[in-house]
Amino acid sequence: MFSNRMNILYLIVAGFLAVLPFVYDSRSMLILLSQVFIFAVLAMSYDILLGYTGIVSFGHAMFFGIGAYTVGVFMKRFEPETSYFLLAVLVTILLTAVVSYFVGLLTLRLKSHFYAMLTMAFAGLFLVLAEKWRTVTYGNDGFTFRVPDFLKDRTDFYLICLGSMVIVFILLKRFTNSPLGRVLQAIRENEQRTESLGYSVLHYKVIASVVSGVIAGIAGILYAVSLRFVNTSVFTMDITLDALLMTIIGGVGTLVGAIIGAGIIEFSHHWLTELAKVHWIFERWIIFFGIIYILAVMFFPMGIVGSLQKLKFRKKKKTSIPVESEAVSQGDS
Amino acid sequence: MDVLINLSLNGLATGMLIFLLAAGLTLIFGLMDVLNFAHGGLFAWGAYSGIWIYTSTGSFFIGIIGAILTGMILGIVTERWIIKPVYGNHVQQILITLGLMLVLSEMLKVVWGPNQISAVTPDYLSGSWEFGGIIIIKYRVFIIAVGFAVFLAVQYLLKKTKIGLVVRAGVMNKEMVQSLGVNIQRVFMFVFMIGAGMAALGGMLLGPYSGVIYADMGMEFAILAFIVVVIGGMGSFTGSVMAAILVGLSGSFMAYYVPDLALAANMLLMAVVLIFRPQGLFGTKG
Repeated sequence: MFSNRMNILYLIVAGFLAVLPFVYDSRSMLILLSQVFIFAVLAMSYDILLGYTGIVSFGHAMFFGIGAYTVGVFMKRFEPETSYFLLAVLVTILLTAVVSYFVGLLTLRLKSHFYAMLTMAFAGLFLVLAEKWRTVTYGNDGFTFRVPDFLKDRTDFYLICLGSMVIVFILLKRFTNSPLGRVLQAIRENEQRTESLGYSVLHYKVIASVVSGVIAGIAGILYAVSLRFVNTSVFTMDITLDALLMTIIGGVGTLVGAIIGAGIIEFSHHWLTELAKVHWIFERWIIFFGIIYILAVMFFPMGIVGSLQKLKFRKKKKTSIPVESEAVSQGDS
Repeated sequence: MDVLINLSLNGLATGMLIFLLAAGLTLIFGLMDVLNFAHGGLFAWGAYSGIWIYTSTGSFFIGIIGAILTGMILGIVTERWIIKPVYGNHVQQILITLGLMLVLSEMLKVVWGPNQISAVTPDYLSGSWEFGGIIIIKYRVFIIAVGFAVFLAVQYLLKKTKIGLVVRAGVMNKEMVQSLGVNIQRVFMFVFMIGAGMAALGGMLLGPYSGVIYADMGMEFAILAFIVVVIGGMGSFTGSVMAAILVGLSGSFMAYYVPDLALAANMLLMAVVLIFRPQGLFGTKG
């Protein structure tokens, strides 16, 4: 999985994306791709929870929203200068870390169902806060704000989003391959066994929650900057659902999967909305989305990348030790 | 004093509506260990189909029957096709029922259009009684009565009939019941049907209560029902009744006295309960 060949492939793709704006100058394409990168960051952060630690959070939007609102409020209240922007980034990191630490500490003791609901409730609290604290958030309508000069140019912003995605990818790759990341995967596979090995499961889960929360906050910053507008929709369930869908469709437990999932979902959002001009049924594209999603969970639980990996794994096994591969495939199914 | 009585009646009526939704959730969770995130979708479908039948036939009663039937049919389909393949896997259950929720609420918009639909109370239930300055709205009393009747009926079914015995035993130990020769699959389906029917009834009754129905109401009320189930203790029928009434009353009082906090009150209540008693007020398993 972490082979040299894959790294070279990633490098080529990243390089291709980096030169793209200079050879293919389409404004809408750039915006769409920037959006893909932003949501890829969010999906990767979600994958740390769902894919690597095996916990379903319904409150991921709260970190995304904290990031979006922090940068929005800073840019609105103070001058839209680089120094204030960096300060906003810093504050976001601090806030998301603190919130995810405490929320994690309170909620992660609970079992999967209860945890999912409690995180949903916490995200709901933030949504209410954003609606009610009008002096700061301007309520439901949200507010527009100006951004520092270096974020104004579409191409530059595209490159910044791409850069953020690549950096987050590398950092999280390093994180998941570290001993700590391995413990998280052990928790995903068998929580009791991990605990009996002497690891404090809660402690590790909280770490996963903090890492994922901070990165979701960064995705939120980029999202708000891309729109130059923020409203309460950043705290809604839809954001969490999007992240969830991207992770599932791309492949749970693989960071590349999250990126691919983000690409697929953002592009299909775009195309299906375009198709709405052709036939009215495409205005209700969420139906197709939901159906594909249900089918994906049912028949394709590992997503695109996961399934490819499994295929590769099986093939390798089959050529070397045929007897054992039989046992593995039976055990899996 | 009359404010207090009005608020209590109001809260009780809302509580009963939430109870109808939450009771199905908690039964399904208790027996099948499935947290059905699509339950709110069944609720909304009950509301839409019920109101549609009611306005086209002119009979409120037929509307109610239609809503319950719609809910039951949808329940069977859901159990058979969506939930059955993912028994025993919590994460997949959460994900798949959430997907179904998306489909159900979008389908509503396809069938009945994206705009909200207004619903009126039938003549014999509209209006109010007046007792020395206290105004009691008939429809609220009707909802409370129906909710209470359903509660008694389900309680009777669970406690006094053989089906109820099997269901209660199934909640305790699924494998044991199965080994005694009971077709647990059929019991599952039956429970799911009842739960879905109750949710649909709740949706239908909500229509004239709030005046309008809209496609996103499923999710809104589902969150409320989850909160109730968690507060009451998952799988505990008594707990869900108590918690539904508690949530309904606190909602109506908060909306009157501290409106700013009303939205967050339930969430806070749930958070506090979960932190100190993760299994809920009446729950037994943690």
